[in-house]
Formats: sequence, structure tokens, C-alpha cells
Amino acid sequence: MMSITSNVRRLAGSLLLAGLWITLGACSEEPDVTIGLITKQEVNPYWVTMREVAEATAKDNNVTLLTATGTSDVDVESQKRALKEMVAKGAKGILIAPTSSTELLPAIEAAREQGVIVIAVDTPVDPLDAVDAYFATDNEAAGRLVGQYARVKATQMGIEPKIAMLDLAPGISSGELRHAGFLDGFGISEDDPAIVAMADTEGDRKLGEARMAEILAGHPDVNVIYTVNEPAALGALEALKDANVDLSRTILVSIDGGCRAMKNAVRPGYIDATAMQFPENMAREGVRALATAIRAGENLSGNLDTGVRLITDDPAPGVKSNDVAYGVRNCWGN
Amino acid sequence: MAVVADDNSTSSEGFVARNLRIPFILLVLCFTAWGVAANLTDILVAVFRGIFNMSNFQSSLVQFAYYGAYFLLALPAGFINNRYGYKTGVLVGLGLAAAGGLMFLPASQFLVYEMFLLALFALAAGLSILETSANPFVIAMGKESTATQRLNLAQSFNPIGANIGVLMGAVFILPALTPEASKAIMSDPQLLASQEADLALVLKPYLGIALVLVAIWLLIFFRKFELPKPAAAIGEDIPSGNVAARLWKNRHYRFGVTAQFFNVAAQTCVWTFTILYAQDVVGVSPENAGWWLQASLIIFLFSRFLMTWLLGIIRPSLLLLIMAMFGVLCCVTAMFSLNTLGLIAVVSASASLSLMFPTIYGLALQGTGEDAKFGSAGLVMAILGGAIIPMVHAAVMDEVGPAMGYVVPGVCLALVGAYALFDLRNTRPAISDEVLPASEGGMS
Repeated sequence: MMSITSNVRRLAGSLLLAGLWITLGACSEEPDVTIGLITKQEVNPYWVTMREVAEATAKDNNVTLLTATGTSDVDVESQKRALKEMVAKGAKGILIAPTSSTELLPAIEAAREQGVIVIAVDTPVDPLDAVDAYFATDNEAAGRLVGQYARVKATQMGIEPKIAMLDLAPGISSGELRHAGFLDGFGISEDDPAIVAMADTEGDRKLGEARMAEILAGHPDVNVIYTVNEPAALGALEALKDANVDLSRTILVSIDGGCRAMKNAVRPGYIDATAMQFPENMAREGVRALATAIRAGENLSGNLDTGVRLITDDPAPGVKSNDVAYGVRNCWGN
Repeated sequence: MAVVADDNSTSSEGFVARNLRIPFILLVLCFTAWGVAANLTDILVAVFRGIFNMSNFQSSLVQFAYYGAYFLLALPAGFINNRYGYKTGVLVGLGLAAAGGLMFLPASQFLVYEMFLLALFALAAGLSILETSANPFVIAMGKESTATQRLNLAQSFNPIGANIGVLMGAVFILPALTPEASKAIMSDPQLLASQEADLALVLKPYLGIALVLVAIWLLIFFRKFELPKPAAAIGEDIPSGNVAARLWKNRHYRFGVTAQFFNVAAQTCVWTFTILYAQDVVGVSPENAGWWLQASLIIFLFSRFLMTWLLGIIRPSLLLLIMAMFGVLCCVTAMFSLNTLGLIAVVSASASLSLMFPTIYGLALQGTGEDAKFGSAGLVMAILGGAIIPMVHAAVMDEVGPAMGYVVPGVCLALVGAYALFDLRNTRPAISDEVLPASEGGMS
């Protein structure tokens, strides 16, 4: 009986230890890899989110991450400098959100010549094969989603569409793709008479408000408003409120997925729907892809669509969407 | 199950009889274990919603399975104890709970939600038996004069377990789950792989709990010890007459059971949906959301001590009314302040909950005399509120948004307040030196 008891104690002890081991899990180590992330600026929470997720992913994957950022969306010099410094510090791969599609090409080429893998994130370079890979939102798909939504909602509400389009600026591919996507999704062409006004906002809230006010002055019957991003949408919303437009008979759509607009404009229904993009996927997948490729000694190529989801609490039949709770969980910024 | 140990039959020499010290420590581990399991389950609602891409209502079935099992097994557990003794009750409870924990293994292989619900049901059924057996078991482990102290000591490990449970979820499960944004770009095979990986995370702590329970089972099974026979267990010492009818006629008791139902409902709702509120309303990341639930439990724990002190100054029903109204205020704030303030309100609601179970228990049984032993069972079975009402909360969330779901615990707490008001307005003659059965059950 004594030996049985002692065996039972041993078995019980082993089970206790096994239980604790299973509960606590085990850790693993992999060789260290250094990579870099260069964003455009840190005023916009979009880029802050991208950096934070890259840092967290790097930590999870035992990667040393170097980070750098510029002072604005057009700060090319800071990015050129950061590219050189990161290569000098031994980065074997770099994620860059280019502030210029062409001006950074020599610096990128110099890095690649030294065996550094370069992935463009968010914004493409021209030509696209000047980088090893491109991870970004499918901007045309994002525009198409809000276009489809606006079309179904307009039909549902029984309104004759009078469309205002608040775009980004000429020559910026993301804005042009979103614009084209919206038209496609709405089922109209550029010269359709339903479009009563178009204006560039540079994605800026104040410009969005000013352009919308101007449009309303000439076309008070506008009832479908496309905005290229949420700051422009928030500006347009201010103008609509100032003009006492009946928001329940107006469809306002946008693209982005920032937390401020999600909580303050999409959740209360001022912005009817927004196409959410995922900067965290650009960062996470970018860091993982670089770490895997560098560790395997392989090159990297191709493009990755980092995803887009339509967010609304007022779904349109036949248009796939997620609710605002999903939007709040996955939005970027605060 | 209220039991008083026969003082003469215990080989007691102190706080715990010498030959029962190790079994006592093992039982304390059991008290910790069900605290771990119960509050780890609060986290599972959010976890399963993400893994299986379900509605809030579907994911709330986790609590239905858990508290439903607690409710259904309460009476059979009493039968096992009366018929076969506490040791058998504890062993059956441990065995069933361990089996439930081990059932997570096939469930995570088959990736079927219903199998997890079945595993949770078995786990909770075992814990229900274990708890019903362990409370009187602990009481019987020493002198009658130190029984309450002994039970309090053992029960104080339950909130420790509760905090460990949430901590395990916050540290080992929530931060390691596949990010929802990642799933937006996954192919079907990748989604399946992520589901498997996430369920493996859930499996680990439950497997760990199961192994610990098996170890305790072996140590208790192979340990020889004598226990006194229960002297006054329910069913053996039922007072004369129709107790149920007598209790039912007592409005303080009848409304007390109802208030306890809504109190348990409110507590389960508030804790179950704290993580979902943090994520869906405020946008807190999964890795941080668990810490807000942890804060709730810590507030609950410390508030208990504060309430104990306040109960010495303020009449219990008045304090119950004040705290119920505070809880309602917290819920209303959560409904309309869709930001960190709302989340703080959700967490603060735990302060109001902290005094409710024992206070309602005491108020409802006051003046019931011998009927209290039978009456306590009704109050324990009010745990059914924790199984049913969270589904209503979840359904409201699905229909009108995550914040508005807090109307449900708000109404529950208002009803508890109404009971307190009723008790205040319908005073009974004070009964001094009345000894109530120790409070039992999954909530405390």
C-alpha cells in the first residue's frame, strides 16, 4: 500500500507539473534578423498604427526592427536618408511607404543592389517592379464597395441620385483608383449626368468642408456624396450640417477605417458607410514576409492585397458588410 | 446543502483536524480551481465569438451551458452527498470536471462549437457537485465552533482562483489569438489553420486545469481519512409541515429568490460582456481587454471588504438599495457614454455587485428559522439567472448594439433595488442571534 501511495503521489506530482507546463506553454527562439520600416509621418494615426503593429510583430518573430518617419506625406528627403542609414545598420529588408512614387527610386535601387529586400507598403512606386513586392489596399475595390452601397441605398430610399465627388488630387494613384472604383460600383461612367460636382480635397478636413460648402451653394439638391477619405468626409459633414441638409435623405460614404470617424461619424450614422483598410496587415504581413524570406535566404516578389471591408450599421441588401462593432475593434488610431 | 458537523464525532484538535490537514489543503485547491474555471469561461464568450465568427447570442450559450449545468446538478449533488458521503461527492465532482476539461481535447480537434459547449457543461456539472460537496466537507473537517471561519478561509481562495482564471485568459489566450484584421485577407485553408491554432490556445489552460483536477482526485482517492457524518443535512432534518408552501407565502423570501436570480444575472452579464464592451464600443485591443475584466474582479474583491465594514454602519437593505442604484447608474453610463468613461462604468458596476449575493441571502432567510436550511437551496438555485439572462443581453447587443446591451443588467439591478426597497418598507421584527446556513453556490 505504501508503494502504491508513493506512486500515486509521484503520478499526481507529475500531472500537476504537466498541468502547469501545458498552461504556461513553452517559448522558442529563432536567429535574429534586422529589418526597417519607413513611414511618411506620425501626425496621422494611420502611420502610428502601422509602426506599432510592425514593432509588435517584430517582437513576436524575434526580429530587430529599425523605424524612421518623415515630417509629412511629401517629405522625400527624410525617407532617402532613412534608407541609407538602415542599410548601413545592417537591415536585410525594408518596408517603405514612399512619399514619392519616383523620387525615391535611386535610393531604393541602391539598397536592393546591396541585397536588401524592399517592400513598398500603402503607396506604389512607378514602375512597380522597382521594389521586390507591394503590400497595400486594393483602392479600386474599396471605391467599388462604397459605390455599390450608395447605389443600393439610393434605390432603397427612392431618390434620384445627385452625386458630389470629393476626390484627393490629380495624379495620385490611390485617389484615382478609389474614384474609378466608386463609379464602377455605382454603375455609372465619368460623364454621367447624375454627377453634379467633383472637387479635390487633398484628403484634408478643412478643404473637404470648404469644397462641400461650395458644392451645396450651387447644388443644394445633392444627395449622394462620395469622399476619398474620412477627414474629407468629416469636413463635408460639417458643411452639410451647416447647410441644414436632411442627413436622413443623404447618403455619405467614405474610405479609411480610422477610429475617430468610426466612433463619431459612422457609429451615429452620419457617414452611412466606410470602406475600411487595414494598415496593420501591411505592417504585420510585411514584417513576417521579410523575416521568413531573409531567414530562408530567398527573395520576395508579388503584391499582397491587405484587405478592405465595408463598415455600416445600416447594411444594403446584396452588399457584404460588417457592423460598426467590427469597425471599432479594427479601426486605427484612437 | 447546509450541514453542521457533529462536534463530538470529529477528531478535532484545532482549526482543522490533524488527519484532515492535507485533504483540507486539497479542498482549498478545489475552491481555487473552480474560481479559475468559472472566470476563464467569462473570457471564452469573446474568444469563441471570434474563432467561430458567431453572433453575440450564439457565443453567450457558453454561459448557458456553464450556469445551466450548475443549476441542474445542484440537487443531484446533494443526493450524492447524503447517500454516499462528501468524499464520494468530491471525487465524483473532480472526476466529472476533469473529464469536462479533457473533452476540450477532442473538441479542439473537431472544431465544433457544440462540442466545446458539451465539454463546458461537463466541467461545470463536475464543479457544481464538487462545490456542493466541498462546502459541507470543509465545515465537517474540524470543530463546529471554527466551521464558519474554516469555510471562509477555504472560500477566500475562490476569488484568488477567479483572478488567476482571468489572468490566464488575459496573458495566454487573448493576446495570442489571430488578429481579426488578419482574417480579412486569409484564404479558407488559412482561416481553418488559424481556427485550429486559436482553439489550441483555449485547449491549453483547460487541459492544465483537468490535469490538476486529476492529480487532486488521485491524492484524495488514495488518502484514508474518517469524516464525521453530517448531522443536519437538508433532507435529513426537514422541519415539520409543508416547508415549500410556508416559504412561498413569505414575501421576503419569495422576492428574495427573485432578487437573487436577477443579481446573479446582472453579475454574469456584467463580467461576461466586459471584454466585448471594451473591444466593440471603445476599441480596446484584445490583449488589453482582459485587463479590464481583471480590474472588475479586483474591485469586486476590495469592495467586499468595504461593504462588510459599511454593513456594520448602514442597514443591509438600505446599503443594498444604494449599491443597486449605483449599479443602475453604471449601466446607464455604459449605455450612453460610448468611450472609456463607459468602460470605467462597466468595471465599476462590480463594486455594486460585491455585496449583493450574501446580503440578499441574509435578507431573504431572515426570520425563516428552521426553514432556512431548505430555503437556502432556492437561493442557490437562483444561479439559473446566470444561464438565462446573458442570452437576453447578447440578443439585445445583436439587435441594437453592444452598449445598449447593458440595459439588461441595468434592469436586473433595478429589480434588486426594488427588493431592497420592499424590505425597507416592510420591516420585520428583528431576530437576533439567528444562525443562517452558510451561503453556497457558484456565486458569492
